[in-house]
Amino acid sequence: MTDVLMAILVAGFTSGALYALATVGLSLVWGSMGMLNMAHAAMLTLGGYVAFTVITSLGLPIALGFAGAIVAGAVAGAILYFAIVRNLLKNDKSTFEANVMIATVGIGIALENAILLTYGGQPLKQPVSIAGTFRLGPLTLPWQNLMIIAVVVVMMVVVSLALGRTRMGRAIRATAQNRDAAQLMGVAVNRVYLQVLMLSGALAGICGVMVSSMTQLSPPLGNDPMLKAFIMCVVAGLGNLPGAVAAALGLALLESFVQYALGARWGFPSLLFVVIAVLIWRPSGLFGRAEIRRM
Amino acid sequence: MTGAAAKPPVLQLDGIVSGYDGLDVLKGISLTVHAGEFVTVVGPNGHGKSTLLKTISGLVPLRGGQISIDGQRLSGKPHETAMLGVAHVPQGDMLFAQMSVLENLLMGAYLAPDKAVIARRLDEVYALLPKLADRRNQIASSLSGGERRMVGIGRGLMMGGRILLIDEPSLGLAPLIIDQVYGVISQLSRAGRTILLVEENPARVEDLADRLHLLDDGAIVWSGKPAELMARDELLATYLGG
Repeated sequence: MTDVLMAILVAGFTSGALYALATVGLSLVWGSMGMLNMAHAAMLTLGGYVAFTVITSLGLPIALGFAGAIVAGAVAGAILYFAIVRNLLKNDKSTFEANVMIATVGIGIALENAILLTYGGQPLKQPVSIAGTFRLGPLTLPWQNLMIIAVVVVMMVVVSLALGRTRMGRAIRATAQNRDAAQLMGVAVNRVYLQVLMLSGALAGICGVMVSSMTQLSPPLGNDPMLKAFIMCVVAGLGNLPGAVAAALGLALLESFVQYALGARWGFPSLLFVVIAVLIWRPSGLFGRAEIRRM
Repeated sequence: MTGAAAKPPVLQLDGIVSGYDGLDVLKGISLTVHAGEFVTVVGPNGHGKSTLLKTISGLVPLRGGQISIDGQRLSGKPHETAMLGVAHVPQGDMLFAQMSVLENLLMGAYLAPDKAVIARRLDEVYALLPKLADRRNQIASSLSGGERRMVGIGRGLMMGGRILLIDEPSLGLAPLIIDQVYGVISQLSRAGRTILLVEENPARVEDLADRLHLLDDGAIVWSGKPAELMARDELLATYLGG
């Protein structure tokens, strides 16, 4: 029984770590810009494929595969800003939220199809994987899961330090809390938006590598984690980063337990039940502010 | 402030027009503020006082006229205006609610060139507003109205700007707290700060302001010394309800 429980916990924490990485990227963009980035899934997929190309096609070390995924995600975020967001911000602010959501749906579809055209539809094996297990007392744990959890923890610490301790982080938090006041302090909010999209893209890139290392590379790779990340964002309260991490871990553990107890097909519906319940009883999310400041 | 007007203007407004949507709120306002001067714009609610300060700091787009700081024309972008030394203490404080008092103050010094300058300004703010030092780790949203106003002023001072724009500092505060807030503003003025303040009640600034402009329906209808306005019962009755 202990083995089963540990297996569920390891699976839950691994999924939770992956969801947290996807959720934080989404939540960061929403919290600071009021923008629902529907291209986040495709950016995640892009990261996975870029790491695959760097490691497999170019024959470079795995570390450079990670670096490639981070750079590709950040560049995709920058392109999204310059091609879409900057132009939409020049228009009527009241229509920004809806317009940018529709525009990023289009960008996401285009990027996913570009990946399909480039790499084909056949699933590919992500070379970022560590085979084997290790024993911790009576427990046997897969190195792969441990690597994923470790990478995500490192990324969370980096993001936390970047937001909490750096000038850029203070500007991002200030813009999220009060855009006009941030401008009065001398913060160039458009530059902040660019930084946020690049940071979110970099997180999506890493997440893509991690997700594909657990499954396989395919063009719709990012759709499932992004869908679940949306659910976790809503449960946590849009824009709340610590809440997003807590919701990701909690819901991933719930999903793992439900999958074990009731069968795999009940995992996703259980998340939907939770989000519906939260929306009924706490529409602003478990950790959300009652009012979210928009553009 | 004798002789202040002989110095070159820190802030110069030439016929500025601005507003919201299709409506012009400011209809050609011109005024100057010289170094070390304390200038006040008074007027009834809804006649453009806050819009005036927001237009100067760039939060409301300029539709006509021009605004200059030390002779340099403003671009209209708020962050560039802040770089030129305009420190705006907005109405309602507009603090960063989830940040601590200290973080709010540090955001004021966002453009400061180095840590030594930030530390010096922080010491100055704590000397002027000692309560902020006690509250430095408290989250801004948990502060009282008077404390929030002090943080707003402190954050403006942390900007180290050439001119301080203060929007209705008495709004929503108890009389005792208003006296404290104006006590701080008085100290700033005596220390030689250049201040443009908007206020509904001219009696608040009677002993503080060097010059006073009366704003009505987006236009300046009278300018002079505060004491002169207070002696003009017909002006007070017409524009400020007595």
